[in-house]
Amino acid sequence: MHLKTSILKEAKHKEFVSCVGWTSADELYSCSDDHQILKWNLLTNETTVVVKLSDDTYPIDLHWFPKNVGNRKQAQAEMFVLTSSDGKFHLISKLGRLEKSVEAHSGAVLAGRWNYDGTALVTVGEDGHVKIWSKSGMLRSTLAQNGSPVYSVAWGPDSEKVLYPLGKQLIIKPLQPSSKVLQWKAHDGIILSVDWNSVNDLILSAGEDCIYKIWDRNGRNLYNSASHEYPITSVSWAPDGELFAVGSFHTLRLCDKTGWSYALEKPNTGSIFSIAWSVDGTQIAGACGNGHVIFAHIVEQHWEWKNFEVTLTKRRAMQVRNVINDAVDLLEFRERVIKASLNYGHLVVCTSLQCYVFSTKNWNTPLIFNLKEGTVSLILQCERHFLLVDGGSFWLYSYEGRLISSPKVPGIRTDILNEQSVSLSNDTIAIKDKADEKSIYLFDALSGKALGDGKPLTHEKEILEIALDQGGPSNERKIAFFDKNQDLYICPVRNFGREQKSIQIGASVHALAWNDTFNMLCGLQEYRVLIWYYPNVVYVDKDLLPKTILEKEGSEFSKSPQIVSFVGNRVTIRRSDGSLIHTNVSPYPAILHGYISSSKWDDAVRLCSSVKEQTMWSCLAAMAIGSKELTTAQAAYAAIGNLDKVQYINSIKDLPSKESRLANIQLLSGSVQEAVLLQAGLIYQAIQLNIDSYNWDRALELAVKHKTHVDTVLAYRQKYLDNFNKKETNKRFLQYAEGVKVDWEKINAKIEMELLKERERASAGSTGATMRNSISTNP
Amino acid sequence: MARDSLSDAGLHFDELNKLRILDPDVAQQTNELKEECRDFVDKIGHFQKVVGGLIELVDELAKETENEKMKAIGARNLLKSIAKQREAQQQQLYALIAEKKMQLERYRIEYEALCKVEAEQNEFIDQFNLQK
Repeated sequence: MHLKTSILKEAKHKEFVSCVGWTSADELYSCSDDHQILKWNLLTNETTVVVKLSDDTYPIDLHWFPKNVGNRKQAQAEMFVLTSSDGKFHLISKLGRLEKSVEAHSGAVLAGRWNYDGTALVTVGEDGHVKIWSKSGMLRSTLAQNGSPVYSVAWGPDSEKVLYPLGKQLIIKPLQPSSKVLQWKAHDGIILSVDWNSVNDLILSAGEDCIYKIWDRNGRNLYNSASHEYPITSVSWAPDGELFAVGSFHTLRLCDKTGWSYALEKPNTGSIFSIAWSVDGTQIAGACGNGHVIFAHIVEQHWEWKNFEVTLTKRRAMQVRNVINDAVDLLEFRERVIKASLNYGHLVVCTSLQCYVFSTKNWNTPLIFNLKEGTVSLILQCERHFLLVDGGSFWLYSYEGRLISSPKVPGIRTDILNEQSVSLSNDTIAIKDKADEKSIYLFDALSGKALGDGKPLTHEKEILEIALDQGGPSNERKIAFFDKNQDLYICPVRNFGREQKSIQIGASVHALAWNDTFNMLCGLQEYRVLIWYYPNVVYVDKDLLPKTILEKEGSEFSKSPQIVSFVGNRVTIRRSDGSLIHTNVSPYPAILHGYISSSKWDDAVRLCSSVKEQTMWSCLAAMAIGSKELTTAQAAYAAIGNLDKVQYINSIKDLPSKESRLANIQLLSGSVQEAVLLQAGLIYQAIQLNIDSYNWDRALELAVKHKTHVDTVLAYRQKYLDNFNKKETNKRFLQYAEGVKVDWEKINAKIEMELLKERERASAGSTGATMRNSISTNP
Repeated sequence: MARDSLSDAGLHFDELNKLRILDPDVAQQTNELKEECRDFVDKIGHFQKVVGGLIELVDELAKETENEKMKAIGARNLLKSIAKQREAQQQQLYALIAEKKMQLERYRIEYEALCKVEAEQNEFIDQFNLQK
């Protein structure tokens, strides 16, 4: 990624430029010490004077009123706040009319910022005060009073907190007067500029020690830059939070959100006092100390998928290279490219008006349709369709350009969604709202309606990242997520009627991705890559979980790597220093997944026996149990030496009816499922199931309820107690034991009869059922 | 005698026997003096002209020298500042080089990772062939 800078030969301002601000993707306002406010139209390359301020007004900072307040959308910002050195701030309309001037501070007002919903304004000044104002410029409160000037200020993502520097310290102060103030020493010099992004929730700070730093919202240091030659005068996050820009003397730098730098430019600008990102995040403008305004476009963004490389060569042109045959295609667009995504054999490109869908098989004839709003902030792809977050809504399109659905989340702020908070699979859409980070909204992709009863999936901790699995049938769709404690969970999302239970499968994970075709999960820890070959194993046989995980460790993965993609057998990781690392996983699990999804059990067994890996057998065992394929499961368990399970499967195989087998398989997976048996009228089997799992109360309850086998339950209970030389203490058992006489012969006969009945019932389907050999009958 | 008495009366005769009130010798000397004086004045005038020209010339030279001096000082300063400019440019270029070096390092790491992947894949293919 690079910056393409442009700067006029002659400076338009006579004095240094103090601040800049965008109204749209192509229009910029700049203020300077020559008292002029200029408007720059980038489409026509015209610069016009909006207004000339009075001679004693020296502007310092400018911030446009936020565009989308509530649900009402405006195409362009209408008003901005301008702070000046005489201690006032001014509300000025787009046409340059001075709406209001307010005496705010003694000494200069050094910065002013609107909050995200435009309900409040914060100003900081040389007098060290931090003041909150209403939209119309009425003083609401003085948030803080300090002894030294405050040079910069930023709102927290929820507009509930304010971040400001004080000398070498950074301070986060909530608006609530009683809440705790977070304060820490951040730099070795005076901090000149701060910014807080609402999408990724990260804080940027820079100052006279010539270093810029990244912090999380708790003040944990994530990145320190190398020292620059000159103090850093400005930092600014891109709207989508993926990039940020840094300005210093003769220096403009473009950096990734993890801190490493994409590009460095050394333009002849003097110090860059302020940087602003255009609304669509494709270009930046800088206020230069020598009266210039510098513009910089971001070009040469890069997308890779399998053998295709796509590069944004110009603002309106892309180059596609097929690495296999070196064929090069050039794609041209009518407007500037805002967002693009390449995955699943399709390239989706959004410009300010249209969406282009290219197939990797044919680059010449894209499918083009018009966008509803033209402010796409996120593109997500899955195998069959793609999701656009455009303006305030979600739009799901097929690759043929057909609008499939448009899920609605009430009151969600769509502009702060990113790939970590939205996930898409062929049949399901999952969305995590910033307002309530403990819940995930789930939607059916095809209808756009909320899944199940419409209630979101909830978790006890704040969730940081979510991802839906991509392969397998839709009723087994699962979501993987990790929370604030970095514990990794998976949870089925289409489990209608039953309670949705998330199970923890890993810890200290800070990034995750599903494989693009098969349900393998990749998670990253410090210096470590983990692959869950079959995460579903936790629902089948939890003991097998450790055996189905591949762990790759190495210093080459660096401390906090990020996943770029998990396509085929290749995991691509971005290290914290920005370099890409590729690592292979064994191709066998993918092949195994392929066999299983087409029910080729024999092939699967053959594959495992030729590979001879415990991991493979463990996966196969779990998959076989999951699909109730007992013969395969038996072979697989035998191969990994779980003889007890082999024996139990043997006993299950001998069961006469389908329902008992099902119930016993479930028991093997660790869940007692008597409902199946009760539905089929197999009361005795249900009772026996509870006895087998020492669930005495439930067994007795069932027996009493159905008025049968009460003596059986009591007999087994007695036997169990005798074995341990204990006395009955359970009141209910004592109560029923009074009236019932235990007679083993009678009980055995009754059991025999029940089994016979079951066998008869199933005789049509089952072949050669033998005597029941349950573990409980020979304790 | 008569002449003497005349001369006593202040009257003289010249060679042409014209009556004069001044002694012809004196008159002649006076004329000579007058001539000489005129010559002298002329010479002085000439001298003045020559000296004036010289002064002008010297003045011009001085002005030119002054100009050259200023130019030289300017050039010297420019030279100094160019050295500084070069230094700044050099610094900028170094910064850009450092940036490129970092990018190179990133590419190197990626290349190494890819080499490793290739080696792994080759190993896998070999093993696979052996198994067959």
